[in-house]
Amino acid sequence: MDVVLQILVSGLTIGAMYAASTIGLALVYGALNMLNMAQGALLAFGGYVCMYVMDSLGLPAPLGLLAALVTGGVLGLAIYALVTRPMLGSANFETQIFIATIGVGSVLQSAVLHLFGPQPKAQPLQIPGGLTLGGVTLPWQNVLIMGVTALMLAGVAWLLGRTRAGLAIRATAQNRVAAQLMGIRIGRVYAQVLMLSGALAAVSGVMVSSLSGLLPTMGADPMLKAFVICVVAGLGNVPGAALAALVLGVLEAVIQYLFGVQYAFAILLALVIAVLIWRPYGLFGTRQVVRL
Amino acid sequence: MSLLEVAAVDAGYGAQAVLRNLSITIEEGSFVALVGPNGHGKTTLLRTLSGLLHPTRGEIRLAGRRVDRLRADQIVAAGIIHVPQGDLLFPEMTVLENLRLGAYLPEAAAAAPHRLEEVYALLPKLQERRFQVASTLSGGERRMVGIGRGLMAGGRILMLDEPSLGLAPIIIDQIYEVIRALAASGRTILVVEENAMRIAEMADRMHLLDNGTISWSGGGAEFLSRPEILSAYLGG
Repeated sequence: MDVVLQILVSGLTIGAMYAASTIGLALVYGALNMLNMAQGALLAFGGYVCMYVMDSLGLPAPLGLLAALVTGGVLGLAIYALVTRPMLGSANFETQIFIATIGVGSVLQSAVLHLFGPQPKAQPLQIPGGLTLGGVTLPWQNVLIMGVTALMLAGVAWLLGRTRAGLAIRATAQNRVAAQLMGIRIGRVYAQVLMLSGALAAVSGVMVSSLSGLLPTMGADPMLKAFVICVVAGLGNVPGAALAALVLGVLEAVIQYLFGVQYAFAILLALVIAVLIWRPYGLFGTRQVVRL
Repeated sequence: MSLLEVAAVDAGYGAQAVLRNLSITIEEGSFVALVGPNGHGKTTLLRTLSGLLHPTRGEIRLAGRRVDRLRADQIVAAGIIHVPQGDLLFPEMTVLENLRLGAYLPEAAAAAPHRLEEVYALLPKLQERRFQVASTLSGGERRMVGIGRGLMAGGRILMLDEPSLGLAPIIIDQIYEVIRALAASGRTILVVEENAMRIAEMADRMHLLDNGTISWSGGGAEFLSRPEILSAYLGG
């Protein structure tokens, strides 16, 4: 029983880390049909910014998180203004933007490498100790990760469901032409979505690096997982992506416990393939099949 | 001054011009029908008027103000409301949410409560279905949401692209009852219609769009009484 709870805690923590960056990807794909391959580099950037603010500037952890959030948002806006906007309306936008964001990702990753060096670094955002209940230990670090993620998910849900900007984002994702005919300025929606996604990725990067440390390439693995989760959920489906992230996180923890870490990703991908054979449009996808 | 003036407009997709040297004027309060064979530019004209496309030549003026360089959202704010072909509803939203989005802009949002009552009075089915998700509606109900959503915006001119497309005859009659009521209330309406005979009975003014330009304009009664227009149209 204790083992089950332990796996559940660890799985939900993994899932929470995936969820934050996955919903960013899902939002951007839903609103713009843009697969943002720079997401991994944004994650790393966020992690390093938090480390820099706490270690080099000596500021407290909440400010480190805030700095990562803001930097992610600014980078998202820059991607919109410098890359997405000039390519909007071009033929084959989906393919072109996919390739362009790979370029953005390498630029950002090189920037991290140049600014902070190639050596692994520790993320100073750490809370030692944990809560022991019966035989189960709940590390504060996991509580922090789950708490921050829950807060972000709640924030996104509030934004999408309760604000005018969120209404415009949902409308644009459901029908871009109709959104324009309602008077929605979709250029602004695109900018907002990329900012939001960048901010989510950066905070997610802080969380990931607080467990596994900082490396310029640290974003690659979470980004790959985020893509897998998006595809499983149905591309562009935001609530589905959050749920799928949590489920796959727990699944990953279970596989790690039963078969060992080295099998986790392979078994996960096998399951994903099975799901996609059964439902090619994703578990929660309702729209047409998107082929990559 | 006419409410809408389109002067010598060329427009299309990429290098290919669909509309060539097209001119048309629409008077305030009139019910205007645009007819003509498929693929000759009727929808392209509406898309150009609503800013989804920009003319490569010519001018479009609404109440004297040039609008042909404005973005689609600015044109909605200026008062040209486009109810697109095939409705283009927000499929995962309810009827009420779709209607509310029609009044997205601040000015329309302020008038939304009383407009919603007007829309419900005109289309009582929508009030019944207001909490139903749009993707689960029947074709006729969807059309009504599309029209209702357009009405929520207010605006100065309402453009309807093929409001009878794909509907059963009895539903088409219902939709046209609604359009007739709108026209009777003094609203300026531009409707694109395949069935020229039906629309000619109601329209103040008919324009035949043929090969990217207006080849004939006149009153609805005149259209019906001149078989050569019809034969040219049907012969196309």
